[in-house]
Amino acid sequence: MIFKLAWRNIITRPLSSGLSAVLLSSSIMVIVLSMLTMKQMKSKFNENANKIDLVVGAKGSRLQSVLCNVFHIDYPNGNIKLNEVGFLFKHPFVKSAIPISLGDSYKKHRIIGTNPNFITQIYNGSISKGNFFNEPLEVVIGANVAAKLKLDIGDSFSGSHGIEESTHDHEDFPYRIVGVLSPTGEIIDQLIVTSLESVWQVHPHNDKKGSFDLKTAEEHDHHSHDHKSEVSENNKEVTAVLVNYNSPRAKFSIPGIVNQKNALMGAEPAIEIKQLLDLIEPAVNVIYVLSLFIFGLSLFSIVVTLLNSMKDRKYEISMMRVGGASVRLIFISIILEGFFIGLLGSVSGLILGHSIMGIMARFLNLKYNYQFSGMVFDSLELVLLFVTILIGMTAAIFPAIAAYRLDISKTLKNKT
Amino acid sequence: MESAYIFGLNQKKLIRTNNITVKYGEIEIKFPNINLDYGGQLLIIGKSGSGKTSLLNILGGLLSAESGNILVNDIDIFSLSNKKRDKFRGQQIGFVFQTPHFIKSLSVNDNLKFSQYMSSKINQSKIDMLLKKVDLNHLKNASIQNLSEGEKQRISIIRALVNQPSIIFADEPTSALDDNSCNNVVDLLTNLSRENNTTLVIVTHDKRIKDKFPNQINLNDF
Repeated sequence: MIFKLAWRNIITRPLSSGLSAVLLSSSIMVIVLSMLTMKQMKSKFNENANKIDLVVGAKGSRLQSVLCNVFHIDYPNGNIKLNEVGFLFKHPFVKSAIPISLGDSYKKHRIIGTNPNFITQIYNGSISKGNFFNEPLEVVIGANVAAKLKLDIGDSFSGSHGIEESTHDHEDFPYRIVGVLSPTGEIIDQLIVTSLESVWQVHPHNDKKGSFDLKTAEEHDHHSHDHKSEVSENNKEVTAVLVNYNSPRAKFSIPGIVNQKNALMGAEPAIEIKQLLDLIEPAVNVIYVLSLFIFGLSLFSIVVTLLNSMKDRKYEISMMRVGGASVRLIFISIILEGFFIGLLGSVSGLILGHSIMGIMARFLNLKYNYQFSGMVFDSLELVLLFVTILIGMTAAIFPAIAAYRLDISKTLKNKT
Repeated sequence: MESAYIFGLNQKKLIRTNNITVKYGEIEIKFPNINLDYGGQLLIIGKSGSGKTSLLNILGGLLSAESGNILVNDIDIFSLSNKKRDKFRGQQIGFVFQTPHFIKSLSVNDNLKFSQYMSSKINQSKIDMLLKKVDLNHLKNASIQNLSEGEKQRISIIRALVNQPSIIFADEPTSALDDNSCNNVVDLLTNLSRENNTTLVIVTHDKRIKDKFPNQINLNDF
């Protein structure tokens, strides 16, 4: 009965109770949204950064090199000669060195020239249908590419030059799908993988450009090269080599060797990602502080709402006391109102946070090529739920004390 | 002057008061001693400021007296702890006021049920029976806010009776009503309290009901 009374008192004042609940809900939503985004970003970034010890690419921005070659979300710094990184393939401290070549895409899905180790060693990927590529212009496609573009084994397509903004199609070099990868939940699901030879065949003159022109059409002189010509052994280029060590000593020697070379730069994903997250963290903290401010505001609103409600209800509270309700019962009923506002605010905030995360996930999936989701939960949310309810109840203490101190005889004397 | 009003022939009295006084600043009001039987009916009249409401509040345990003691059902209500006095009031005493106040967020039925809940004895059939008696059964699930003043007063009389109390204290229950409603409310109060063997004490300055009660105390005499 006391629960019913508290609940009815909340819902019969939809505006004032609603305002408090909406404020609480907004702050919880922002906290949850920031928390889930950061959690998933950190987890995906760290997970992938830890798959590769060193990215060896062209000189330029280290972060860009990592974002492009590990996370496939930025443009390459440029290309490097394959024979310059040849030492990496035989170095005793190197467990694996996988070359990759970027440059083309198909409907915003990047085409990666590499070898099957890229799939099996880095992403533990496997073929669900068909085979790995054997011949130039044979490709295997990630599970999401197959599902989204409705592609299957035997289908053909032409890659577009560039990554996000296509400059032209390589219609003379249609790719043929020979395999579809099993879903992994990783970036590989979004990629189209082919052999290095395919990329060299499509871009035989990349040595002249120094890098695939991935950004604008102006930078790419499509007619200056002949697609039919072969790339000489000395001119073979790749975008990067993804290196994994087999000895802890490699961490202290390989990056040094790489960075001494004029055309090469080594970037350690773990370090670059940590720096990136350290850069993002203060911005997220500002959002947290902002949401805590809204949180404080909502608590103030609960106090004001309940105090006003007490003012309106002083005669009915007096009547309850006359009817035998103990001060304890009155006190509990008002604390319960704080409980319900807290519960409403926190539950709706959590639902809103996850729903908006779900909507945002669609955009983030496209932007970062990772599977973000609104259905990811954090144990901290449970803490947030309890803390919010507790704080809602705490905010109700002051109005409850006001009701507790109500002089029944005086109140009724004024209006009987 | 010490005076005692003894109503009824039984030795055992429901209400016994002894030398009650109340103080408002420098002014002290002395009340006559009252001895009232179980099931009795008493009208306390007096002009404004004579202390009618204060006396009622003291008898109902809502206001502490400056001195003196009150025995209700042989229990000195001011010797009880606050919690026990609240419970005692909920179970033994019903109140009717000039302006009936209810829990606005609840329906008629839930308001009556809440009164029973406060005295720990929910009895829906009692509520239904009383609602039928006052012909308001059809408003059982209506919001209390949608009732007319007359309907609210009738519901407040039912609320005073739902816990089968020993006494009903009514403070100016008819002052805001027209003659017809005044008679209805007094008849309802007297009849229902008689049927339930409940003692009825009314304080009022409403002269219209003076002739309906043989047992009276006029506070103007003190």
